[in-house]
Amino acid sequence: MTSKFVTWLDERLGLQGIYDTVFDRKVPKVNWWFTLGSASLFLFVMQVVTGIFLSVYYVPSPDHAYDSIQYIMNGVTFGWLIRGIHHWGATLMVIFVFIHMLRTFYYAAYKFPRELTWVTGVVLLLATLGMGFTGYLLPWNQKAYWATTVGTEIPGTIPVIGPFITSILRGGSELSAVTLARFYSVHIWFLPLVILLVIGIHMYLIIRLGISNIPGKDD
Amino acid sequence: MNEEQKKGILEKYKQAKQKGVKFYPDIIYKDILISFALFIVLVIMAIFIGVVNEPKANPSDTAYVPRPEWYFLFLFEMLKYFPGEIEWIGTAIIPGLAVLALFLLPFFDRNPNRHWSKRKFAITFMTVIVLGMVGLTILAAATTPEQEEEGVIANTMSEQIVVGEELYSIHCVECHGPEGEGGEIKGVEGLEGVILDPINTEDVMYPFTDETLYNIIDMGQPNLGMPPFSTQFGGELSPAEIEYLVTFMRYTWDDRAELPEEPVAAAAIPTLAPNEVPSYEVHVAPIIKRYCISCHRPGKKNNNYTMGSYEEVMTSGDNAPNVIPGDMTSILLRTLHREEMENIGPMPPSKALKPELIAIFERWVAGGALNTAAEAAAATAAGAGGTTVPITATLTITGTIVPGSTITPTIPLATSEATQQPTP
Repeated sequence: MTSKFVTWLDERLGLQGIYDTVFDRKVPKVNWWFTLGSASLFLFVMQVVTGIFLSVYYVPSPDHAYDSIQYIMNGVTFGWLIRGIHHWGATLMVIFVFIHMLRTFYYAAYKFPRELTWVTGVVLLLATLGMGFTGYLLPWNQKAYWATTVGTEIPGTIPVIGPFITSILRGGSELSAVTLARFYSVHIWFLPLVILLVIGIHMYLIIRLGISNIPGKDD
Repeated sequence: MNEEQKKGILEKYKQAKQKGVKFYPDIIYKDILISFALFIVLVIMAIFIGVVNEPKANPSDTAYVPRPEWYFLFLFEMLKYFPGEIEWIGTAIIPGLAVLALFLLPFFDRNPNRHWSKRKFAITFMTVIVLGMVGLTILAAATTPEQEEEGVIANTMSEQIVVGEELYSIHCVECHGPEGEGGEIKGVEGLEGVILDPINTEDVMYPFTDETLYNIIDMGQPNLGMPPFSTQFGGELSPAEIEYLVTFMRYTWDDRAELPEEPVAAAAIPTLAPNEVPSYEVHVAPIIKRYCISCHRPGKKNNNYTMGSYEEVMTSGDNAPNVIPGDMTSILLRTLHREEMENIGPMPPSKALKPELIAIFERWVAGGALNTAAEAAAATAAGAGGTTVPITATLTITGTIVPGSTITPTIPLATSEATQQPTP
C-alpha cells in the first residue's frame, strides 16, 4: 500500500530523480568545517520561524514598538524564549556566515569552477549584516535608537551624496516613525526575500558543482 | 586559466569524489548534528543569558553614549583614525573597496593553486585583516565609556504603576498633593498661593485620554504655571517615565480601571504592631517618600533639609538636627504638629498628615530614631518600644502635641510645654 502510494507520487513528482541528485550523490571526504554552510542555513531558518512569531505581536511604530516587545517578553507565553532565540540567533548567524566565508577563503574553494557560488555567498554575507543592522532598531530602546543614529550618520560623511543617502535611510533628517517603518519592511520583506532567492541559487550551484575537496599538496 | 588547467581540476575533483562518501547519510548526518547542537546553544542562551532589558528610546537624552552593534564596532573604531576632513576615507572608501574586493576575489586572484603552501600571500593578507578586525573590535569594546545609570525599567503593568507612583511622589506632590487632591500651593517658588483643582476625579480622568495626560506632563501647561517635565523641554523625566506616571494616574484615580493588587501592596505604608519599635527603613521612609520628598530634595526651597536617606533626615538642613533620638520636641515632630516657628512652617505646608502617620514618626523618634529593621527588631525584643496602649488609642490623643504613648522610662524625656507623660 505504502509503496503503491510512493510510486503514484513518484510518477507525478519525480521524487526518485530529486533523491538521486540531491541526496544520493558522491562527495569528497571533508571535515567538520564543511558544516558551517548548513549551520548558517539552519540559523536563517530559525530566524525566519522565530521572526514570524514575533511579527504576530510586534507593532512597528515609535509609540508602540517598545511596549509591544515588553508584552512579548512578559505577557506572551514563551514570548521571551522566542525573542531570546531571535536575538542570539542574529549574533550567531553573523559569526557563522563570517567564519563560513573565511573557511571558503582558506580552502580556496572560490576558485574555478565555483566563482559564482562565492559571489552569491558575498551577497548573503552583506544581506546578513543588513538584517542585523535593520533588526537592531526595531525594539526602539535607547541602545537601538542611538546605534541606528550613528549607523545612519556614517554614510552621511561621504562627500556630495552622503547627506542624501542618510536622508534616504532615515526617511527625513532625524530618526522617526518613517525610519522605523522603513527598517521594519526591509527587515521582514526585502532582505529575507533577497536572502531566500540567493540561498536558492547558492544551493543550486553547490549541488550542481559539488562541494569542494580539501586541497591537497598538489592542488 | 587555460582549458587544460580547467580539465585537470575537474578530473582531480572527479577522483576525489570517487574516493569520497555519499551526501546522504555521511554529510547530512554531520550537518544535522551541528544544527541540533546550535539549537541547544540558542535555547540555553535565550534561557540563561536572555535579552538585556533596555530603557525606551529617548531622542532628547544627549548624555547617552551611542554605540553600533558589536559586529560593526571595528568599523566604528577604525573611523577614529580618520578624523575630520578625511573621515570619508574611513566611512566610504575603505569599506567600499573591501566589499568590492570581496565580490571580485575569484576574478582577480589568478593563482590556480589551492593548497595553502602555494598561496602564502593571500592567506597572510586575509589573516592580517581578520586579526585587525578582531583587534579593533576588542579595542572599541575596551574603550567604550560606561553607560550612565538609567532610571528603573518597569516591565509589567504593576511595576509601571509602582514606579509611576514613586515618580508622582517626587515630581508632582509638591503642587498636586499626595493624592492628587490639589488645593492651595504652599512653599513652591513662583506658584505660591495658586489654587489647583483636583486631578484625581472623573472630571479629569474621563475626558483626558492617556495621550492628553502624557502631553500635559511632557510639555507642561505654560498658561497655568505648570512647567514641562520631559527632558526634551528641560524637565527631568524620560518618555518612559512619563508613561509610567500616566499609567499610575489612570489606574489609581480612574474608577473605570481596576488597580491590580501588587501596586496596592507596594504602596501601602507598613503598619506598626503595638509593641514594635519603628525603623527608618521600614516605616518612616515610605511616608517620607510619599509626602515629603517632593520638596525635600536637592534644588527645592527647603532650608537645605533633604530627606533622601537616613543620614540626610538626621543631619541635613539649616536647622539641623531636625531629629534628635528620644527628643519629642524635635523640630520634625513640631512641624508635623503644625507649630509655627521662626523660618519653619508647618509640614506638609497645605494639609496635616493623618494622625496615624504622625504617630509613626513619634514612636520612631521616641524609640531612638533607629535606621535599620534589624536595629528596630533588637530594640523591640529589648522592650524599648514597650507600650501598653494600642495604636488606635494613640490616634485619639495625637490631635494636639501630645506625644505618642511610646515613651519608655529608659529614654530621658526632654521636657517642654508640649510633652508630658502618658497617663497610666
